[in-house]
Order: sequence, then C-alpha cells, then structure tokens
Amino acid sequence: MIKDYLQIAYRSIKNRKLRSWLTMIGIFIGIAAVVALISIGQGMQRSINEEFEKLGVDKLIIQSKGELGAPGSGGAVPLTISDAKAIEKVNGIDIVANMYMKIGKAQLDEKIKYAYIVGLPTDEQKELIDEINSYEVELGREIKRGDLSKVVLGINYRTKDIFSRKLRLRDTILINDKEFKIIGFFEQIGNPTDDESIFISEEAIRELYDEDEETTMIMAKITAGEDIDKVAEDVKKALRKEHNNEEGKEDFSVQSPTQLLESFNVILNIMQVMLIGIAGISLIVGGIGIMNTMYTSVLERTQEIGIMKSIGGRNSDVLKIFLFEAGILGTLGGAIGVTIGIILSKIVEIIAKTMGYSILKAYISPWLIIGALAFSFLIGTLSGAFPARQASKMNPVDALRYE
Amino acid sequence: MLKDYFLIAVRGITHRKIRSWLTMIGIFIGIAAVVALISLGEGMEAAVLSQFSFIGTDKLTIQGKGIGLGAPGVGVVRKLNDNDLETIRDVNGIEIATGRLLRSCKVEFKDELIFGFTSSIPKGQEDRQLVKEVLLGSGEMESGRFLKTSDKYKVVLGNDFANGELFKKPVENGDKITVQNQDFEVVGILSSRGSFIFDSGILMNHDVAEDLFDADDEYDIIAAKVSNEKEINQVAERIEKALRKEHNVDEGEEDFTVQTPQQSLEALTSILNIITTVLIGIAGISLLIGGIGIMNTMYTAVLQRTREIGIMKSVGGKNSDILKIFLIESGLLGLFGGVIGIGLGIGISKIVEIGAKVFFGPGIIQAHFSWILIGGSLAFAFLIGTLSGIFPAVQASRLKPVDALRYRK
Repeated sequence: MIKDYLQIAYRSIKNRKLRSWLTMIGIFIGIAAVVALISIGQGMQRSINEEFEKLGVDKLIIQSKGELGAPGSGGAVPLTISDAKAIEKVNGIDIVANMYMKIGKAQLDEKIKYAYIVGLPTDEQKELIDEINSYEVELGREIKRGDLSKVVLGINYRTKDIFSRKLRLRDTILINDKEFKIIGFFEQIGNPTDDESIFISEEAIRELYDEDEETTMIMAKITAGEDIDKVAEDVKKALRKEHNNEEGKEDFSVQSPTQLLESFNVILNIMQVMLIGIAGISLIVGGIGIMNTMYTSVLERTQEIGIMKSIGGRNSDVLKIFLFEAGILGTLGGAIGVTIGIILSKIVEIIAKTMGYSILKAYISPWLIIGALAFSFLIGTLSGAFPARQASKMNPVDALRYE
Repeated sequence: MLKDYFLIAVRGITHRKIRSWLTMIGIFIGIAAVVALISLGEGMEAAVLSQFSFIGTDKLTIQGKGIGLGAPGVGVVRKLNDNDLETIRDVNGIEIATGRLLRSCKVEFKDELIFGFTSSIPKGQEDRQLVKEVLLGSGEMESGRFLKTSDKYKVVLGNDFANGELFKKPVENGDKITVQNQDFEVVGILSSRGSFIFDSGILMNHDVAEDLFDADDEYDIIAAKVSNEKEINQVAERIEKALRKEHNVDEGEEDFTVQTPQQSLEALTSILNIITTVLIGIAGISLLIGGIGIMNTMYTAVLQRTREIGIMKSVGGKNSDILKIFLIESGLLGLFGGVIGIGLGIGISKIVEIGAKVFFGPGIIQAHFSWILIGGSLAFAFLIGTLSGIFPAVQASRLKPVDALRYRK
C-alpha cells in the first residue's frame, strides 16, 4: 500500500520536472548552507577541545588580569618569579613552570620580522612545559640547558619565505640584534601566530630583555589525587598574600583548562547559533516554496483527486499521497543539499589550510547528515500538510466538475 | 499601453491569491533579514566610529608597532622614547608634538576593584594645551579642575567614574581612589564625550605616571598636531621617513606606525565591514531561494495560462507584449515582497535595539535606516523579481500561437 502512495507521489514529481527541481533547489541551498556552517563550527570546536585536552585536567594556568591587548601583552600587575615560588609552596602543587613571552624583532640580512619570542625553561620546569606543549621539534633538536644563543623556530620559517629565503638548520638570524643559531624547527601547530613564533631558552630571553623578575604566564601541575578546585583556591590564597590583594579583588586569575575551555565554548556556541539561525531563514523560505508547489499541484490534480475519491479513495489516502510527495521533495532536496554542504565545507577547509589556519577543519558527523536529512523531510511534510489537507477534504463531485 | 500590461499582471497575481502570497513571503523574509542586518550593522558602525572619531582632523598619532590587536603601547617591539619625540618635533609641518604613557592599571574605590587605564598629561605648557584640546574637545570640565603641573598624587577622571558606570558608587571630587596601590585624590571629572577612551580614563601628570609604572624615557603614544590640516598626509610621510632614519630600518619594516585620523577609522570600519558582509551574505541566501520561488511561480503561471497566451497572440499580441506582461508580473511580486520585507525588517531591528537596551544598556546597538538602504532594498527586490521572471517570460513569449491554443491542462 505504502509502495503505491510512493509511486503515485514519485510519478507526480517526475511529471513536473522543472517545477520539482526548482522547489528542491530552494531546499538544498538552505540545507547546504546549514550543513557547511555546522560542520565547520563543529570541526573548529573539536580542534580547540583537543588542544585543551592535551593540557590535561590536572593543570592550573595563572595569568595577570587587565590585559589591554593580545595574550602576553601583560596585565596591570605583572606576574613574577616570586609568585611562581609562592605557588610552588602551596600544598598539593607538584611542579610549577613559568613562561616569559615578548614581542621581538627577528632579522636576516636586511629583512625584519616582528614575532612572539617565547622563553622555554630548561631546568626541572621543562618537564611540565613539555607535558603542556605537546608539539614536537620536527627537525633538529629542542632547546637545552645552556643554549644561550640557539633558537628553535616555528615551521613557517622553514616552509615559507618569511625572510628573503627559507631558513635551514645552522642558519644564523638576529633576534633583537643578537645572533642566534637555528638548531631546530617545530612541527606545524596550525595557526600563523604560533607557527611564526621564536623559541629560545629562558636564560636567553631574560638576558635579551634584561628582566629577572617578570613573567607572562605561570602553569602548575597538581599532585595526583588532589582536588583541583581546592588547590586552585589555595593558590589564589597564596597569591593574594603575595600581591597584597583582598579576596574578590585579585589582580590575577587562576583557571583550570576546563574553565578556559568553557569560556571558549560559550563564545563559539553563540557565534554558531547566530550564523546557523541566519542560514536557517533560507530553510523557511525553501519550505514555503514546497508549500507553494504543493498547493499548485493540488489545484492541477483536482480532477484526479475527484476520480480517486469516486472509485473509493478515502480522505486519508489522498492526504498520504500528497504528504509523501512533499516529503520526497524535502528529502531529495536535503540529500543534494547535504552533499553540496560537505563539499563546501571541505573547500573552506582547504582554503583555510593554504592560509595557514589548519586548525579550521570541517567535521562531518553521521548525526549531522542524519539530522539534516530528517530535518529536510520534516520541512517537506510540514509544508505539505496544509495543501494535503485541502486535497483530502475536497468534495468528490466538485472535484470532478473542476475545469 | 503600459497600464494594460500592469492591469493584466495584477489580475494574474490577484487570481492566484495563495500562490502569490506564498511567493511574496519567500521574498519578504529574505529582504526582512537583510534589511535588519544592514541597519543594525550600520548602526553599530556609527556607534563604533563615534567612539573613535575624537582626536580631530589635524592630529597624528605615532605608536610602536606590535603584533595583534591591542591598545597603544601594548606588546610593541620597541617603545618610543625622547629621541623619537625630538625627531618628530623637528619634522617640517609639525606644530607641536607630545608623548604620553597609556597603561593598564588596577583601580580601587570603596572596596571595589576594576581594571582600567591611566593616561599621562605632559608637563610642558604647550604640550598640556594639546592634550587638553584632545581630551576636552570644545567642552568643559564637568566638575572640579584640570590638573596643575604641581599636582602630585592627584587625578582627573573620565565621566564614567562619576556616573556609576565603572564603580557602583559614583566617584566625586575630593574622594580617594587607589591606582596601582597608590592613593590619589580626585580633583576633577571630565564631561562625558560618549567614548570609552575618554570616559573611562584616569589622567595624572606624566612624572607621576613614570614613577608609578616604573617607566623611564618611554612613551606609548605620541600625539602631534600639524600646522596645516591639508598637509597632514605629507607630514605623516615625513615623520615616517625621519623615524625610519632614526630607527635605522627600511621602508616596509618599520617598528612604529604613524596614523592619520582617517587611517584609524579605515582600520576599524574594514573589520566591521567584513563581519556585516559575511552575515548579509548568509542572509542573502534566503533571497536567492525567494527568487527561485518566484521563478517557479512564474513557470507555473505560464503553463496555466498557455491558452490565454495563444488567444493574445492570435488577436495580434506581439512576443514583446507577452514578455512584458510576465516580466511586470514577476517584478511586482518581488516589489510587493520587498515592501512588506522592509517593514518587517525595520520592525525586527527595532526589537533587537530595544532588547539590547534592556540587556546591555543604551547606546550599544542602534538601528540605522538610511534612505539608500530602503531604496536599495526595494530596487533589489524588484530586480530579483524581474530576473527570476526572465526565463519563464521568454518561454511564454516564444510559444507558438497554434500550439498554445491547442494546449490542454
């Protein structure tokens, strides 16, 4: 029986090829836009989540508050090495590491490049930094203790013409007018800022900037089995004492990666909902297109409906035939739309990659595909509901008489 | 003659009420979305520009160059210093130039802590005048007095400190306020300029700021006034040249930037433009689909009126007459859809504006309707209608009269 409904519906779609295509185009453009936006959004969220997962759930990140610019630009009251020492003494803290970052000038021959210079600790703190910074040195070796004039560079210095030529191991560049020998290159991190950063030892950066106290970021690993929230509170207490802050008036922040991730995700979600909402408008318009086509179809087939009814077709039969037709229009449109959407998001991914943002990956989950198909079927049937009801309620005698 | 085309087209639309309405809904949803987004975007742009268009058209700012976005002086490679200031003062066409510190700081008042920023007021009489001109515009102090050169731990505050925007309790003249753990006495409040750059700043004398932030011989921003406004671009180039020489860098590798007021605005609007373009692009998809809806409706109309077309042609109707009738019909569908859509779009952006006012306070999002926007969207809706009607209309006009007459539904 259902097979019959489907066949009648399918025949009617096929009979009006042009109209059916135009109706489906209306749906599939909308579905394609939504699918592309969702898959890119989810992909981005996944790569960010992965980054944070690598940090682990047993770390705390301490930064100063009141930054007026990009991360690392320094807050109102900078963190210091003594802060790090104070944190080390807190119960439940295993290791503490600090990272000092500055924007500096790199130079080869006459060409100058401004980039982040990151000081990597080489003493016992290195263990923690290695754990947090999961990126490997791809070529050459990493920074070791005593490397005062050695540098490891982001991958872009090796693969792109940042200077007059691509750099190689054992090349020498000037950093803030001091000579450094290249001993390694990091693997690709996925965004130009990181891939164009410059890594030297902590001793070297402190010498370079003549700075013994200040630091940009402090990271702490808690001892296994300790409650991270409690340790975070203790760290806050210790730093309040160090900074002479009253409770609630801290000039620093202590965050676990989970907290950082949550605040990221909130922003990402708001952006996604907004974009998808706007793209979703086109789905409504597409649905209205289906409704329009179905009303027309009901009108054109009035006589046919009359005949069906006069040879014993029930209202529900007529209803189903038209609902199926609308549903098929929606689902077919959705299927084409999903395909185009996937292709679109892949194209965006490739473009982003060539621009250095390999972090922007499209992620197409099976749920997205199933959801999009189900949604387009739903739109089709919902839009078909009124026209189908109109058809099913026709009086057979009037319908037969219709010219 | 044109009237006849119109009458036939209107009859065509009114005869198929449901279908025409559904077709127009398709257009007006799209137009409404686009109109709402553009008007909100324009409103936002106007709001942002009013925050930044402050320093007057005869002033240049020179900053160290950093990477990424941030306030002046943040994360720069090389701070500006006295030598740079002297170099700039010596440039031909500069009337006066002065260096200032702009620093992020923590501010405490009656048990509340916020993070704000301090900007310094230079010592020299003429320099002070320049800064005062920038800060006060043509306005006056709201209350109290401006800083004197002899003031040590005294500050003048932006208006937001006094109106409860920054601290819950308004700050008044004579109050004690703690900046970076140092107590200051408030001696004056600036009148409101409607821009956070002035309204939330803390002003103190340059030497005090130097002590407080441990800054010696460095500036975060240098402001310069040119003697002839019309030459501002040439003067900017001269400064660049002089500083390049001073810093010993080649063109294109500067560790500083010289911005004219126009450039600062352009940098801002370009970011805003990208955002609105993306949003409008996505909203525009629904207009495309609405257009396809019109095309669909018109094809159906042509099909259903095949015999009518046959009759028109057999009594002497030319191909061009048929074409015009159908084009006008689809154009009208687009135009009507556009009119309703604009009304709806204005309504939506007003609702967003009111909603933003309730949740975030006044002035952040204000819908802005220009005549260009309204006229443009009407024209665009009409265009979409006509364009979508072209193929069906051409098909109708090319029907052979004999075939058309013989056609049966």
